[in-house]
Amino acid sequence: MKKLIIFAIVVIAALFILSSFFFTVDQAKQAVVLRFGEITRVIKNAGLYTKSPFIDKVVYLEKRIINYDIQPEEIITSDQKRLLIDNYALWRIEDPKLFVESVKTVEGAQMRMDDIVYSYLRDILAKHTLGDIISDKRTAYLQQVTLLTRKALKEFGVYTVDVKIKRADLPQANEQAVYQRMKSDRQKVAAMYRAQGEQQAAQTKAEADKECQIILATAQKRADELKGEGDAKALEIYADAYNRDPEFYRFWRTLQSYKTAIASDTTVILSTDSDYLRFIDKENVKTK
Amino acid sequence: MKLANEHRFPGDEEFPPSKPPVRRSKLGGGYIFGLIVAAVIVIYALTGIYQIGPSEDGLVKTFGKYVMTVGPGLHYHFPAPFQSVVKVDVRTVRKIEIGFRTIFPPPNPQYREVPIESLMLTGDSNIVSVEAIIQYIIDDPVKYVFNIIEGDRIVKQTTESFLRERVAVRGLEAVLTSDRDKISQEAQKGIQKTLDTYNAGVHVVNVKLQDVSPPSEVIAAFDDVNSAKEDEQKTINLAQQYANSVIPIARGNAQKILNTAEAYKESRILKAQGEVARFIDVLQKYSLGKDVTRSRLYIETMEDILPTMKKMIVSGSTTGVLKLLNLSSLPEIGGVKR
Repeated sequence: MKKLIIFAIVVIAALFILSSFFFTVDQAKQAVVLRFGEITRVIKNAGLYTKSPFIDKVVYLEKRIINYDIQPEEIITSDQKRLLIDNYALWRIEDPKLFVESVKTVEGAQMRMDDIVYSYLRDILAKHTLGDIISDKRTAYLQQVTLLTRKALKEFGVYTVDVKIKRADLPQANEQAVYQRMKSDRQKVAAMYRAQGEQQAAQTKAEADKECQIILATAQKRADELKGEGDAKALEIYADAYNRDPEFYRFWRTLQSYKTAIASDTTVILSTDSDYLRFIDKENVKTK
Repeated sequence: MKLANEHRFPGDEEFPPSKPPVRRSKLGGGYIFGLIVAAVIVIYALTGIYQIGPSEDGLVKTFGKYVMTVGPGLHYHFPAPFQSVVKVDVRTVRKIEIGFRTIFPPPNPQYREVPIESLMLTGDSNIVSVEAIIQYIIDDPVKYVFNIIEGDRIVKQTTESFLRERVAVRGLEAVLTSDRDKISQEAQKGIQKTLDTYNAGVHVVNVKLQDVSPPSEVIAAFDDVNSAKEDEQKTINLAQQYANSVIPIARGNAQKILNTAEAYKESRILKAQGEVARFIDVLQKYSLGKDVTRSRLYIETMEDILPTMKKMIVSGSTTGVLKLLNLSSLPEIGGVKR
């Protein structure tokens, strides 16, 4: 048992000593080797490497793209509007030596980035109007910011991949003003729709009324024509017939009209001289 | 596997003699020692066995350097520190929500709004609330794992950035209605292009706009516009209804007027024809004997009309006196007869 423990200790010690001669660099990392604080080697490719034990110190650095969310900053546009810009930068460590010598850590680099990105962003966006900044054109402005930032950060061994605006919002107070305007805009639109409805309804009703009147008037006209035709035709028929013997017609028609024209409770005073009653006088009975 | 066999070899050698336990005391710790060493080596070797799930790929690294990609199944790599494996889900479609979060998934979904993400400025300086999702898969796990950190966050930020940009070039009306599809298509294109420049190894499957609405502060005003549109239609419909009812009634009345007139015309003509026919009958008889017919007609008429009348018959010689009669008291002197 003792032997076993000793063996294990020996093996572990051997492995430890062996491992101090080697180090590995991950695919996602890069490294610098420091000897007494001085950079002796820069390793950008992954794999197994050797070092002098105890005197070489390996510092690993990120090789992948780092996403840095920059604090939102308020800027003033050329048309004096305030805009809250929330942006982020994507960057990676391009030159590990420079990086370690200047900013040392990711946090150190990002602190520099904060100032640099913000100052460029403010400089460039301040030359443009709010409308331009929130529009398509911002891609070009950001490209400028990216390029300038890239240039400025190069001395820290940093490569700036991209600077992008995540959000561009109005400050709280301006937001309320926008809401007020949107509300009144909508109220106008709503009023317009209602008025349009009323207008069209009135028009439809008026047209319907007009059509009704036209229909009735047309019918009335036709009716009058028809009546006229009837009267004319009747007159023609009467005239045709009565002209055959106007004198007899007058006699015959007069007799007929007695039947209807003289009411039943009419009192008539008849003279025995009248044609009808003359035979009441005896003298007239005789044949003359 | 070669390595594992090598390690297993001494174990096999030791195995048969370990069967009889009585020997142990005679041979001392030598056997047990060998056995334990072998067991440790075997266990160590076995730590290289790993499984890749059905939706995953495994990226095998030798001393930290990527060497190959393996698919789903049971695999072996040399144990640490020689080799290691990074597992990446490459077949599951990932989803990121912008402007909202799902608290409970369907069937009884509950969502929470995230206004700081959803509220965006439009080109006409209005504010609109846009909720969207982006779906993507990792189509190149090597790039995804070794080129970027927090890939999900990069995808999300890129999506937010492009959504805002595409919304900002449009007016509120277009964002709310006609241009929804265009916004998501343009955003998808831009996101893919940008992620490709980062070598992110991400394929964007879909960008979908979910709820696009006015901000909650002004939604009542927007709703009122909708009800105004309905009101407009309602008012117009009512007027149309009025028109639809009033015109047929007018047509009916017109027809009635026409019918009455038609009837008047026909009856007038028929009456005329009737009367004329009678007259012509009489006239024909009359022409046969004029005096006789005249007398007969006269007498017949008198017969017809006189019975219903009040009559006073006066002698021909007194007609002069009668002209002075008080006509109003005539019935009382009805008896004045000869």
